[in-house]
Amino acid sequence: MAAGEEQSREYLQRHRLPELLHRLGALLLFHRPERPREFLIQVLERVKAGRRAEGEYPFLLDEANVDAMFSLLDVLGQGFIRPAQYREALKTLGLSTEDLELEDDDAITLDVFKEGMKKKMLESWSVY
Amino acid sequence: MAEAPMEDQARPWPPPAGAYAEERGLFQLLQNMLEELLIHKPDDPIEFMINHLKQNNDDAPRICVLGPPASGKTTVAMWLCKHFNAIRVSQETLLFKEVLMQTEEAKAYKERNQKIPNALWANLIQERLSNVDCIKQGWILEGFPENQEQAWMLQSSGIFPRHVVMLYAPDTVLIERSGGKRLDPLTQEVFHTTFDWPSDPLVQERLVKPEDLSEQEVSKNLLEYHRNFPDIFHIYQKVLKSINADQPSVDVLSQALAFVQTRHRSAAPFTPRILFFGPPGSGKSLQAELIAQKYDVVNICCGQLLKEAVADNTKLGELVKPYIDNGYPVPDNLVLKLLTERLSALDCLTNGWVLSGFPRDVKQAEQLQKAQINANRVFFFNLPYESIMERLSQRRTDPVTGERYHTTLRPAPTPEIQARLRQNPKDEQGNIEKRLNIYYSHVKALEDFYQDAFYVNADQDPFVIFEFIESCIIKPLPCKNIRSL
Repeated sequence: MAAGEEQSREYLQRHRLPELLHRLGALLLFHRPERPREFLIQVLERVKAGRRAEGEYPFLLDEANVDAMFSLLDVLGQGFIRPAQYREALKTLGLSTEDLELEDDDAITLDVFKEGMKKKMLESWSVY
Repeated sequence: MAEAPMEDQARPWPPPAGAYAEERGLFQLLQNMLEELLIHKPDDPIEFMINHLKQNNDDAPRICVLGPPASGKTTVAMWLCKHFNAIRVSQETLLFKEVLMQTEEAKAYKERNQKIPNALWANLIQERLSNVDCIKQGWILEGFPENQEQAWMLQSSGIFPRHVVMLYAPDTVLIERSGGKRLDPLTQEVFHTTFDWPSDPLVQERLVKPEDLSEQEVSKNLLEYHRNFPDIFHIYQKVLKSINADQPSVDVLSQALAFVQTRHRSAAPFTPRILFFGPPGSGKSLQAELIAQKYDVVNICCGQLLKEAVADNTKLGELVKPYIDNGYPVPDNLVLKLLTERLSALDCLTNGWVLSGFPRDVKQAEQLQKAQINANRVFFFNLPYESIMERLSQRRTDPVTGERYHTTLRPAPTPEIQARLRQNPKDEQGNIEKRLNIYYSHVKALEDFYQDAFYVNADQDPFVIFEFIESCIIKPLPCKNIRSL
């Protein structure tokens, strides 16, 4: 690989740019704003604000969405889901499933789910 | 509309998302941003991206106009500048118009009649191009880079033209031209005693002969140009177009303009949704079939669709049947229903479609739009009347195999088949006239309705036509507006 290419790839890795662009794309397709450029500027400003702990990162899912997600997973309405489902949900959203210390038959309630989601989403954005 | 989290990965994008992305050029937007990030590698990518998006200069021209001396670079560059309201950067503007950091140094070289080193040129250019006006309005770089070293230096300072116009002409023409070259010292415009004489008498009086243009000088410059040309050509191959400068200047200019408005082929995901318009016999169904075969898009002919519905005895088919049986045109709402149903099927959504035979007039076109069926490529086939008559009146079909033949262009292979060929009554002279009249009465309005359409000369070899259509589909639509959010 040429030196220039090597440098560029390393730059992309270091700043996690592919993932960032992926998220920007996802946000655009989800919200389908009338003016994509201005929307992206707003999103990036929010990332900056989140970095300085002045505001919230532009999460794809808000609280209502997380609640809805939980109720979709909890088909029987038992009030909790299995860790396997929890892992799958995280994977679908592109969040990491490492350092999740869960037994196989733990019950994940809505609150635990919401807390966990929030923490993971915050983690994923804080690299920027 | 929240998306279910456990969605199957293999399902296609729901139409609104895909259509939105395509319409807004999202892929290009993100790709441009990524390119800029990689060129400059800022330490704070987020801040950089915000500034980049605010600049909104993705469509600002970044053009190089190159060519041997006397090929007309200045004329082309000035004209393009006026058209795009961009900044023109050339040897003169760098040395005499601007005051950049190293202008004095460069001028000193010129005084001493020495060649200005490449590094100095590269620095001057780089400084000029990073000025706010160049970034916002775009730039046209005339006569640079002159050689490989300059090109590499420009590249390493992050300057990449999007289009390179390369003028060429035989040496004899160039030498002759430079003899008649005249300069307007006020506006810097270039004229010629024979080929490009200004109409304004005031300008005529001002014209002077440029200084450094003895025939020897010109030959020397030409030789130098020819030596450097292959390397430059190689470097900018992918974004370059050679234009013959030995034509009337209007032609050169219009070719240059058409080229710099094209967008280069991108990797953006694209589902073709193609409409074919054209008189009967223009070859629409053949081209549609070729496209369908090569690119796996669904080929829908409106007439076929109706007949299939009848043959399959579907609910809609039964409603349609009485009209077809009695030879009456099927009412618009039924056709639209059938079409919407077909075009929303999974294979059409995923692979795209090519539709011929509908809409036949602007009313139907509007209904199609209202039904959220939007084509992204529209073609009008043009064929002169005699060719239409020749093609249609000699069409024959074999009633046994269903194969279509033409008595002169595609005759039946054996006399046995020849004997049983029959002509479709709709291809009889009188009926052809009727169909043509109907077509011509509506086509002008349709052409106005579909502004971004392509016009196909259908009086050519089918494969030539196919290549043209293919290139229109594969390349992104040319960029007519400069600013768009």
